[in-house]
Amino acid sequence: MEQPIRIEDEVQFLDPKLVKISRNQFADMEAELPDGSVHAPVEPVRTFPLTQPDQYISLLDANKNELGLIEDIKQLRKADRTVLAEELKKCYFMPKITKIHSLEGRFGITQWEAETNSGSVSFDLRSRHDITSLDGGRLLIKDVDGNRYEIVNYHRLDPKSVALLETQI
Amino acid sequence: MHSGGFSRRDMHRLARSSGSRNTDRQPDVETTTLEEVPAALQRQFEDLLDGEEDIKIAISTDLQFDGTYGKDWVLATEKRLLTFNQNGAPAPEIRNIALEAIDEIQIRELHGNNFMKVRTSEGAFEVARYSKRFAPKFAEATPEIESLIDKIKPDDVDKSKRHRKYVDPGKKKIRCETCGRPIPRWSEVCPNCVEKGKLLFRLLKYALPFWRVSIPALLIMLVIRLVDLYPPILGQRLIDNILIPATLAITGGQSVEPGVFGQLVTIVLLMIGAHAFTAVFSAVRGYMMTWVGQRITLRLRNDAYQHMSILSLDFYQDRETGNLMSRITQDIGRLRDFIAEGLQDIIGDSMTLIYMCIIMFLYSWQLALWVLLPIPFIVLFSFYFGHKMHKVFHVLWKRYAGISTILASTIPGVRVVKAFTREKYEVERFQEQTHLVFDGEMSAAKLWTLYQPIMIFMTFIGTIFIWLVGGRQILNGTLTFGELTLFMTYMTRFLQPVRTLAQMNRRFLRAATSAERVFEILDTPPSVASSKDAIDLPNMRGQVEFRDVFFSYDGEKNAINGTSFTVEPGEMIGLVGHSGAGKSTLINLVTRFYDPNEGEILIDGHDSRDIELKSLRGQIGVVLQDPFLFEGTVADNIGYGKPAATRQEIIAAAKAANAHDFIVKFPDGYDTTVGERGTRVSGGERQRISIARAILKNPRILILDEATSSVDTETESRIQEALGRLIRGRTVFAIAHRLSTLKHSNRLVVLKEGQIDEIGTHKELITKGGTYAGLCEKQMELSKIRAW
Repeated sequence: MEQPIRIEDEVQFLDPKLVKISRNQFADMEAELPDGSVHAPVEPVRTFPLTQPDQYISLLDANKNELGLIEDIKQLRKADRTVLAEELKKCYFMPKITKIHSLEGRFGITQWEAETNSGSVSFDLRSRHDITSLDGGRLLIKDVDGNRYEIVNYHRLDPKSVALLETQI
Repeated sequence: MHSGGFSRRDMHRLARSSGSRNTDRQPDVETTTLEEVPAALQRQFEDLLDGEEDIKIAISTDLQFDGTYGKDWVLATEKRLLTFNQNGAPAPEIRNIALEAIDEIQIRELHGNNFMKVRTSEGAFEVARYSKRFAPKFAEATPEIESLIDKIKPDDVDKSKRHRKYVDPGKKKIRCETCGRPIPRWSEVCPNCVEKGKLLFRLLKYALPFWRVSIPALLIMLVIRLVDLYPPILGQRLIDNILIPATLAITGGQSVEPGVFGQLVTIVLLMIGAHAFTAVFSAVRGYMMTWVGQRITLRLRNDAYQHMSILSLDFYQDRETGNLMSRITQDIGRLRDFIAEGLQDIIGDSMTLIYMCIIMFLYSWQLALWVLLPIPFIVLFSFYFGHKMHKVFHVLWKRYAGISTILASTIPGVRVVKAFTREKYEVERFQEQTHLVFDGEMSAAKLWTLYQPIMIFMTFIGTIFIWLVGGRQILNGTLTFGELTLFMTYMTRFLQPVRTLAQMNRRFLRAATSAERVFEILDTPPSVASSKDAIDLPNMRGQVEFRDVFFSYDGEKNAINGTSFTVEPGEMIGLVGHSGAGKSTLINLVTRFYDPNEGEILIDGHDSRDIELKSLRGQIGVVLQDPFLFEGTVADNIGYGKPAATRQEIIAAAKAANAHDFIVKFPDGYDTTVGERGTRVSGGERQRISIARAILKNPRILILDEATSSVDTETESRIQEALGRLIRGRTVFAIAHRLSTLKHSNRLVVLKEGQIDEIGTHKELITKGGTYAGLCEKQMELSKIRAW
């Protein structure tokens, strides 16, 4: 009788010691795969951007085809890891909100004035659906322009910010 | 605030003035993105220029390369690209790149931010990092920089790398050009810039027409409130003038004078009179104000619903049904309460307080002061407590909503829960939520049970003062016992209006929120509206032409990306493509559920926007994948598009749609109630009812959206047969995943990412061996496997 598929066989991770990640002269991320092929530019994609930002990184070539998966960036050699981490930081820009100064709603659009780890910012939300509530008081916010913000644990914010937030969630 | 607020007019002015100095260099590149550079920086830049050149483009960013918010600059002249980075190492850095050296400008669109990158033959630099908010600005500027490069390198062979499209022409603007605020998805214009009048004024406008009733009602209330205070005064007279003298006389061994009982009866009659007056006029006033309130509700509700009915699908797409329903029901109810009762309550309660104060001060100003002493504390406490209570209840309400969410997902999904044996998990999840509700309820109870005793105690302090201070005054002979009783009675009456007024703030805020939610509906302009000089097109032939149509639902991704083709009257067009290719969008545009952002759709040679909507939609019939049946009888549903249809016509339409046979099998026949609470009708049956509906309407243009999916083969053939009758002699747009459904089509349009991939007859496309041929082959394979 035929055996059912073994799902472990369905995913092959790139051997972290045989992948070379670097920057080429055009400041693009370049990846040399274990099979010796060299690709640039390579775009790293987090498969679990919210819950496992440093694990299961997919490497895409210029045509968005997957070259391979990296199980954990910590397994990479230091030089490779630095380049990949730097590129990921660019690719995923999501400031963390540390304080909310004010919220003003009109016509269903709410204007937020907030402090983030990247500085103060003002942005607009279309609706409450643009705030996603995750476990542990974590909030993800997407503004009208497509920028994203994060609140690591809103219970930990100052009382005024919490009070303002609670009108929205 | 974000940096980079610049008005478009300024930019044009600047662009013109800088251009006019260079009239000798022709032709000039038109640039629109010229922001005002800070003077100090401007000087630094100008030092790098060689007198022959001008700054043509200046755009600021809102991010710096280290990922903090800040303003960097990208400038372009005819010869070079200049960039300024505030946090370059070690000092702010200016980079000077000759346009001649640039091979390519890239925009990297990433998550939450974009990069602009410049490539030369030797290397590449990132020149700007900016948030998505500035993406449209950079998308506009990039081709302009490229034009500057083209001018300096006219013979560049590698031009193709540049000149990519950065802005989709059909893209909807996210933000208002005047005020910079975001435009809600459901609206074409910025509601901020069309706002008329303030909220309260507008609310009053709804109450104003009824002033003939509400003003007398208000006056009646003022009188009632005054009369209401009269019985305690009568009580005081009764005690001081009759009862106490009588008691004294009796204890002194004398008898009471004979006329005194008459006086007592008079006072009692006056008391009865006062109470009767209040009772009668309260009832009258109550009725009047209810009338006013209901009139306002009637008008607001009908206005809102009527306005909603002309709003485009966008508006509905953006909101939940429940949300819109609560606006029409709850919010308007709240507004009614506020206009009819709230405002009058404020006036009435304030007047009661003022009346009482005046009376008390007239009797004894010292005692009045003591009585008033606890009032500020009671107000503060009520206010604080109300605030706290509101928060607790809000949390509680959310927790109850959590229970509903769990129920709403697990009850319909019970088969999945059982199949994957997750009952225990779901039970635990539910228990967790119910425990949260329990905790919430208990903290609410904690507050609530505290509130009552504290309030009673605070009032009691007032009473204590009356006993103490008033008692002393009695002993001094400056106050009578009747007066003391009067103060006691007033003290108990003080509380209610004070509490009402303390909570007024929140009542007002809530009304304002409701008003905003209701006015939002009334203020939303319909994005699809007939133009003023729209024409009637009573006898449409049914020719439809798409001319360079662009359309986007969200302003981000184009659903239709430059489509042109013509459909002749009576032709059947099959729309083919993967889901998301734009098939349904194309149909939404024909029916004018949406209007194209760019390009036009011509019907019989007229721009569809110039045709009266009613006339257009009156001649378009739709059969949807999952047809909606309204609450009503089968006959009502078939006749929905033609209310004047005779019974005979309805039966004829049902017969043509192969629906008659199953309808007569219902015990109530055509009178069977269907819809939400009616008889269950299967998918195939609904389908045929909706075909009958379309046949009866006799449209010139017919739309079949996946009309035969998810039914068994037998039913499908019955439906196919019905459809065959329906489509005869009409212009038809048909969408189907099953290509066999499209076999009657005269031509097939294969869509891919909002554009036409292929167009032609079935035969032509098969011979061509392109996308459609591939799809057909795949379906053939699948249908071999399909055994039923």
